[in-house]
Amino acid sequence: MSASRLEAVTTRLAQAGECGIAPYVTAGDGGLGRTLAVLHALEGAGAACVELGLPFSDPVADGPLLQAAALRSLDSGTTFEGVVDLIGRYRSAGGALPILAFSYANPILSRGAEEACSRLAEAGADGLLIPDLPVEEQACIAGAVQAADLANVFFVTPTTADARIVRAAELSRGFLYVIGRTGITGTRTELGREGSEFLARVRSLTTCPLGVGFGINGPAEVAAVAPHAQLAIVGSALVEHVHQAALGSSPDQDIDAVCARAAANFLTQLREGLKP
Amino acid sequence: MSHERFERPTRFAAGEESFGGVFAPETLMDNLFALEAAWIAAGEDESFGAELTRLLETYAGRPTPTYHARRLSEAWGVDLWLKREDLLHTGAHKLNNTLGQCLLACSMGKKRILAETGAGQHGVASATAAALLGLECVVYMGALDAARQAPNVDRMRLLGAEVCIVEHGQRTLKDAINEALRAWVTDPEAHYVLGSALGPHPFPSIVAGYQEIIGHEARAQFLSAHGSLPDLAVACVGGGSNAIGLFRGFVDDASVELVGVEAGGVGSEAGQHAARFRGGRPGVLHGCLSYLLQDEDGQVQATRSISAGLDYPSVGPEHAALRAAGRARYESATDEEALAGFKDLAAREGILAALESSHALGWVRREREALAGRSVLVNLSGRGDKDMATILEVLAPDQDGEGS
Ligand SMILES: Cc1ncc(COP(=O)(O)O)c(C=O)c1O
Repeated sequence: MSASRLEAVTTRLAQAGECGIAPYVTAGDGGLGRTLAVLHALEGAGAACVELGLPFSDPVADGPLLQAAALRSLDSGTTFEGVVDLIGRYRSAGGALPILAFSYANPILSRGAEEACSRLAEAGADGLLIPDLPVEEQACIAGAVQAADLANVFFVTPTTADARIVRAAELSRGFLYVIGRTGITGTRTELGREGSEFLARVRSLTTCPLGVGFGINGPAEVAAVAPHAQLAIVGSALVEHVHQAALGSSPDQDIDAVCARAAANFLTQLREGLKP
Repeated sequence: MSHERFERPTRFAAGEESFGGVFAPETLMDNLFALEAAWIAAGEDESFGAELTRLLETYAGRPTPTYHARRLSEAWGVDLWLKREDLLHTGAHKLNNTLGQCLLACSMGKKRILAETGAGQHGVASATAAALLGLECVVYMGALDAARQAPNVDRMRLLGAEVCIVEHGQRTLKDAINEALRAWVTDPEAHYVLGSALGPHPFPSIVAGYQEIIGHEARAQFLSAHGSLPDLAVACVGGGSNAIGLFRGFVDDASVELVGVEAGGVGSEAGQHAARFRGGRPGVLHGCLSYLLQDEDGQVQATRSISAGLDYPSVGPEHAALRAAGRARYESATDEEALAGFKDLAAREGILAALESSHALGWVRREREALAGRSVLVNLSGRGDKDMATILEVLAPDQDGEGS
């Protein structure tokens, strides 16, 4: 399926004039088995697609919560092949959400972009997001993502010039990732007037579906973003909520199940923000 | 104003290969475009150049001498010359770059600078330039480095800088750069003064451009003192700023061998050294593609060195290109070899070198037979006051100070 599975979802949302929720999950936070349970739970709770974060030792675009999650994942022994295997297991168990692999540039480029992209796509990933690979460097992966039929998604921010927004939209498939404000991940924010003006500017420059992220914590922020976006992307808040659920579980509980329930509940709450 | 493109090449090419680039989050891109524009404008502005020269000459103490180390030459059997960056104000070459970048910050109307530091020398040089030019200064430093370079933490604070101690990761230079980059993302009104010739474009070119004065001075000084060019130009390589500064003066002189010396640490296994060209392969860290110490999964590996300034898993991209082109070679010296170089220089010449610079000396000392009779110009990038505690700890049982 690959790119078209993601495109089908975002195109349908765009045509229906709706917004869906795109949760971000750090693969291997609490072990890959827990991530698998969380993916199925998010699907059950109505996520539109999922961003699956491959952990990296030096995540410079991330705030403290996602940094900590990446380190927990690496400490629990997560590898690239482990994540590939996780995606495969999710698909063989019938998992149907579009999956965007989210990885810093080095784990992809050092493996060889061709090899990395084809491994991810064969396992059942549909797209690739690289936070430290701006459009200026897209040539490093363009051939590989195309050969593997992965949807490449690029980022734009309020400081991105119009011409670069157009370029990022042209290069993106599925959606364009709009960072609603300047900053690192996980800093609480309201959309505000500037944010809405920025989203309107992006909308005027491209017809590509928009995923809006950074700083969404709850249904109120989802509601603020929904009129302007096809996807509301929720990262740090969800990852931390699930992590806290794990910390708060008692020894006789199945922690993976506790986390899966926590993820599903959080998503259900966020979806309240989508109701008119 | 938002920018659309870079005007200068973002890569350092060597045949089919190229290194460097702009592997930065989109949230930083506009800062980088703006910085490149300011840097190009400053390069074309005579008054900017004149002000930088005035500060370098009347404040920082340029030109620094090129010194013929006759007693050590005799002991080692090598004709040894030292470019004395240790005599620059604040005690290392780092001030060349911070004066340039802080003037750039002023030209962009910035009121605050951010910096990372490993050995603390770049932090001190940043705090110094900031005080001189009336800028606020925040320095990020790993907790391990802050402990082993404590005098520099005090110096930064006395100069009015805020020092933020970084407690995560390995708590060294790499982690300090992570934090400084994150801080810059959230504080685009500040200028980030990167301390070595690495990071996303335009930093490697900016830093090398402000450091190449070392090589240009040294070439002219050596020629006038010696009548010919040196056979070798040698420098330690952390991120690579003092080395690229020296090399740029000689890169067009094919007869001059360029040798960069990395930290060999305590062993050749992963995690025991910071010899990127020996143990690493191309990879992306902190915005640029260069040689990187990493595992098969592309995770950045731990490094180890007695010298905080060399204890870093990647290396400036221009060095990767010089090596790929066969123009420079990169060797390493262990902690022990660096200390032996340090001791010999102290005993024969009355100079206490920084542990970083001692790696360049340590390599020359180890290779002295192969280098017999040849003229070797070493960049003495800094002085050793900051390293007293570390050195006394290791040398205490054995203080004869003679070369063996
Ligand atoms: C005296 C001295 N030399 C060398 C270095 C290494 O940096 P670079 O390779 O950028 O010259 C440092 C870094 O802190 C230093 O303080």
